[in-house]
Order: sequence, then C-alpha cells, then structure tokens
Amino acid sequence: MRLSFPYMGPTIVYKKLFELLGHDVVMPPKPNKEIIDLGVKHSPEFACFPFKVITGIYLKLMEKDVDTLVTSGGHGPCRAGYYGEVHKKILRDLGYDQVEIIVIDSPRDDYRYFYEIVKKLKGSSSWLQVARTIKIVYELTKALDEVEKQVEVLRAYNENGVINRIWLDAQEEFYQIKSARDIEKTKNKYLTKLNEFKDSIPAEEDRYRIGIIGEIYVVLEQSINNQIEEKVNYFGFEVERSQYLTDWIRENAFPFTGKELEEIEKKGEEFIEIEIGGHARGNIGHAIDFKERGFDGIIHLKPFGCLPELVSQSVIDDLSEKYEIPVLTISIDEQTADANVLTRVEAFLDMIKEKDMREVM
Amino acid sequence: MQNLYLGVDIGSVSINIVAVDEDNRLVFKLYTRNSGSPIDLVKEGLKDFKDEVDLANYEISGVGVTGSGRQLIAYVLGADTVKNEITAHARASTYYYPDAGTIFEIGGQDSKLIIVEDGIAVDFAMNTVCAAGTGSFLDHQAERLGIQIEEFGSLALEAERDVRIAGRCTVFAESDMISKQQYGFTKPEIIKGLSEALVRNYMNNLVRNRVLEGKFIFQGGVAANIGIKSAFEEEIEAEVIVPEHHDVMGAIGIAMLAKRDIKRSGEKTNFRGFDLTEEKFETISFECEDCANNCEVIKVIADGRVIAVTGDRCGKWAASLITAQNPAAADMKESSQKQEAEAEEETNLYKVDPEKEKQVMRELEELELEDEKKEEEKAAEEAEIAQKSEAADSDEKDDNVYV
Repeated sequence: MRLSFPYMGPTIVYKKLFELLGHDVVMPPKPNKEIIDLGVKHSPEFACFPFKVITGIYLKLMEKDVDTLVTSGGHGPCRAGYYGEVHKKILRDLGYDQVEIIVIDSPRDDYRYFYEIVKKLKGSSSWLQVARTIKIVYELTKALDEVEKQVEVLRAYNENGVINRIWLDAQEEFYQIKSARDIEKTKNKYLTKLNEFKDSIPAEEDRYRIGIIGEIYVVLEQSINNQIEEKVNYFGFEVERSQYLTDWIRENAFPFTGKELEEIEKKGEEFIEIEIGGHARGNIGHAIDFKERGFDGIIHLKPFGCLPELVSQSVIDDLSEKYEIPVLTISIDEQTADANVLTRVEAFLDMIKEKDMREVM
Repeated sequence: MQNLYLGVDIGSVSINIVAVDEDNRLVFKLYTRNSGSPIDLVKEGLKDFKDEVDLANYEISGVGVTGSGRQLIAYVLGADTVKNEITAHARASTYYYPDAGTIFEIGGQDSKLIIVEDGIAVDFAMNTVCAAGTGSFLDHQAERLGIQIEEFGSLALEAERDVRIAGRCTVFAESDMISKQQYGFTKPEIIKGLSEALVRNYMNNLVRNRVLEGKFIFQGGVAANIGIKSAFEEEIEAEVIVPEHHDVMGAIGIAMLAKRDIKRSGEKTNFRGFDLTEEKFETISFECEDCANNCEVIKVIADGRVIAVTGDRCGKWAASLITAQNPAAADMKESSQKQEAEAEEETNLYKVDPEKEKQVMRELEELELEDEKKEEEKAAEEAEIAQKSEAADSDEKDDNVYV
C-alpha cells in the first residue's frame, strides 16, 4: 500500500511504524498557510478546525498518488468519529474515489474491528514482527517525548533559538534511526547536549510552570497552535502539555499501558460526570493534576467549533475558582492572529508573576 | 538633572506618548490619531517632546512600549520594556486607584475587562469576536449620522425616549439604526441606543458570568464619551470613574513598568537617543525556506543598517545579528550520571500493566486462532464445494449433448 496519514506532532513515529510493516510511506506535508487555506476551502464551514487542517493535508497528499490514508477515530459524541467518513466523501466529490481511508479506533471501543484493521495494515508481516515493530516505534516515541519534555523546561531559561536548534537537530536525527539500539544512543546524545544548559534552571521557588490542556490536535501540533509553547517559554515559564504522542499511541494502540492516564481522567469526573467524547474529561483531570503538582497556571486550547472543549471551557470557570488556578482559554482556528495570541499569553503570564512580586512603586 | 521615563502606546487608532518623572508625575502627554505610519508619528511625537520639554533638566532613563504595534517601535526606539496593553493599563489604574475592583478599557479596536483584587490584576478578558464593542463601532456610526465623534456622548444625554438597537454586529446595527430612524426616533435617541448596544455587547462578550466589584474605572479612548459612561452606570447600577488621563493610561502604565524594570535591573537604558528622529526606517520580511517551519523573518533597518532580526524559530537569522552571545557556558556540565538516573526514572513513567498485557495477548491469540479456524473451515468448505462442483461438472459433461 502507498499510504500516508495526517500530520500531528513528530510524524516520524507513524512513518517508522508503517515502513517497518513494509508499506510505501509518503510523508504528509506540515500544515502551513497554503494547506490550511486548501482545507478551509473544501470543508464544511462549521466543521472543527482540526478537520479543516486534515482535509488540507489529504488534498495536498492526493498530488502524490497516495492510495491509502490511515487516521484515528474518535469516541463518544465528539465529531472526530465522523472525520473518516466525511473526508472520504469530500475526497470522492473532488474526484479522488480510489482512496481508502483506514480509521484506527481505540481497541477499547471495539476489539474485533481493531483486530481487523491491524490485520489489514500488517500485510504479510507476522505477529511477531508486528510486536517488534510496535516496540521499536513505542521506544522511539518515548525517546522523542523525553527529549521534548527537557526542551520545554530549558527553553524557558535560555534563548529559544538555541534550544530549538538542538530540538530540530534531534528530530532530524531520529528520522534516520534504524534499530532500537540507535534510539537509546540518539536520545542520550541529545539529553547530554541539553544537560549542558541545566544550570540555567533557577531554584525551585523561582520556577514557574504552565500546563497546556485542550483538544489533542491543537495541543500536539505546533504549526497550527501559533507555537504557543515557545511563546510561553519565551516569557520564562516552563511548559508541560496534557498530551504527548506517547499518550496518544498508548490510548489508541496499546490497551494495556494507559493506567495512570485513566487515573488522571478519573479526576475529571468531578466536573464532567459522563463521557462526552474527545479529551474533555481527561483535560479537566489534567488541569486538576497540574494544580496538584504545583503548576502556576493553565492554558486551555480549544479549536473553534470543538464540542467537547466548549463544554470543558464552561466548567473551567468553576474549576479555576475551586482549585485557585488561573486559566486562559484560547480559541484556535484559521482566523487566529498571532499578535492576539501573544498579547493574551503575555498578559496572562504577567498576571501570574505580578502576584508574586508586587512592590510599591 | 531629573530622570524621565518614556511610555509609548501604539494602538490601532491612536498613538500616545507620555513621560513620567520619578514620582510618576506626568511631564509630557501626547495623543494622536494613528493614520497608518506609526514610525513617522512616533518621530513627530519625539520632536514635539524635544520642543516642549527642556532636555537640559531631564534625562531619558527608560523607555517602554505597548500596544498592538509594540514590537517594531520597540526596535526603533531601543525600548527597555515591551509589554502588552493589558498589563500596562492595569498598572496605571491600580496606581491611581489602589482600591479599584474592575477596570473597563475600551480602545479603538479592542475592549478589555480587568478584574483587580488588592491592587493586583487577577483576571482579564479581551474581545474575541469583532469590533462591535469598540471605539471603531462608534466612529463608524457617528460618521453615518453625520456628527463629530466628540459630540457623540453629550448628544446621547439629550435623549428623551429609549430605543433598542441591535448591536451584535456593526453592519447589522447600521441597518437597524436606519429602520429606527424611519420610526421617527431622534438622533440623540439613536445615539443613546447605540451607546447602550455597545455596553450590552461588552457585558455579553467580556463580563459574561463574572461578578463585578467596585470601584469601577473606565479608561481608554472611548471613556471620553459621557454617553457610554452613563450607559455603563445604568447597566451596573454603580458609579463609574473616568480617570483624568483616561486616554493615555496605557502609555502611563508602560512608562511605570519601564521605570520598575530599569530600577530592578540597575542597567542603563537602551534608548537610541533623539537622533533617531532623523533616521530612515524600513522593514523587510521574507519566508525562510531552509526547513518545513517556513518562519516569517522580519528585518528592521535603520539608515541601511540592520538593527533587528526576528521571527525565526531556530535563531539562525537572529544570531546573524547578535554575535558572541552564548547564553550557557559549556563548562557548566553537571554529572551526567545523575541525569541518566533521572532519565531512567522518567522512562519508568510509562510502565506497562503486565496483567493487562497478558490478557490482551491472550485475546489476540484467541482471535487469531478463531480466524485460523474460520479460514480452515472456509478452506474445507471451499474444498467441499470444489469437490461438489467438480462432481457436478462431470455430471454436466455427461449430460451435455453438445460436448
């Protein structure tokens, strides 16, 4: 199969996965203005923003003769569950009727279906090979996330560009990796590099931490969330996200690894009693978890037109009051202006810092 | 020689320049309309400053820039502090009114709400949807009605009847206004209706379900409009205070913040001096295509010399300007063993639940077995059918007379 997938986070991971399973993988393009415009043009106006971006990516991929698109599904009332079907229809209407869209739904929802999908994707590889592949890919994701977590801390105390350089290099090098041993080696190489900056981290009481929660696509994909993490880091705040790619893989592929995620999601039940789809409940859980871990504020990213996040936005007022943690909600779509986001983020972070260091002028 | 701190607010509609002294007294104040070339207007403003203030007695010790055009002007001036307008506004009004509880700020193209507790901003909101709740909305309608924006407020107070005008959108407000004129409502009444629409909009978009506490401060360009002020007072049923320098509060705030930053760091100002009024500035922007990030890089050029490069994520272009600035020294190596131990710990974060894993593997195996069985059955069936059909074929052959 000549296949591709939506661009989300460090895409190298999916590429490796499908390559190791013996497919011809086409790298999806990184979302930029052209792709977003293309997606907006061909999507229903009231679709959520991630849908539009993915439409743009698919259409761009059509130029490369891709015959299969692999994507993830959603669960609950979240519209992500329809993405696959609607995309199929849009592509068909535009004349691309040979494309197959394979939707990987969480095995927790439907075992049988998941098994069928995996069987289809595994092609001629044996189950042992599949297990080995998944292991390598998982290790790779873990390594990437580990490096990124360091980056998100160190960037707060160093010039953004310097740390970004290392992070970009690291991603580049992870792309070239062949074996499990290389993963460890590359990871250590970059962690050591980052370690040189470790002394820039101030004493515990001078550290400020911001947790980023929200819909998975806008949280994970820097190119569509106005590089929010870098903005926060720029003002000297550390960042941690509620979602990392490892989590996504654990949730969508390995039913046996997400134990602490389940616990965090449970915390969200305080405000959202029933499963409303997307990551709404998990996000609320993460917000509480961040507070418990001593974070100073939460930035909540919500794609315009996202149902679950709209619900979580409305309970966040209560959460913010009860747990005494400031929350800034930013709605993201193709209309979001960079200057606007910057102003809000800066004012929000100023507000947090001012609380601690108010002096008589 | 006295120290002076410059505050510059580059808004979408107005450009304000103020200078405050050590005691936060206002030494200079300028409010001009932004006609679209902020650099020239700032240069003019600085010329006015030179004419008005005797520079023999004063020295510029710090410069702060705020407003939506802050980045560029900051490079042009050599600012010490560059901050958003929310922080700046909050700083100025909590200085003048330490017991303030709520700050309404309505400017040319945005409106803000700042909630203050004990002199510290604790919450804020900014208009997200459109310009219907801002000064531009009033500007537009005033023009439509053929009156000066300066007269707008006092006219509203002359209204005798109430009229409700739809204020969610500037364009729809206009059509509603025209139809209300046909009903015979007077200009003052229409204006009053518009003021109420603006306040209603503000309440719906920004205040939402927040509980507002006094004192109420109203600032920004629109605060000059007494019609809006009284509409606010009617809405919240409390007195609203408009500060004396309501139109330049952002500039005053940023001047104070610049002073604080200079005092705290103890460094000299980066102000590029009044000679900059003679310099020629231009900006160039281009898309870097060295990687998939496609950063938009902006260069600020003064008299042919590049004074700032910004916008690149990897720092490559910025580094081409600032040389030999390596933030972290290489000799700060921590013992890497300790780090590795930490890395180990982090890996353990992603632990696997062995029980569940076993169960899943078992289920997978079962599924596969089931599948195999099915396939076997299918194969057997197929074989059977094949056998049968073969038999049938041979039967057919026998019966077929045409063979």
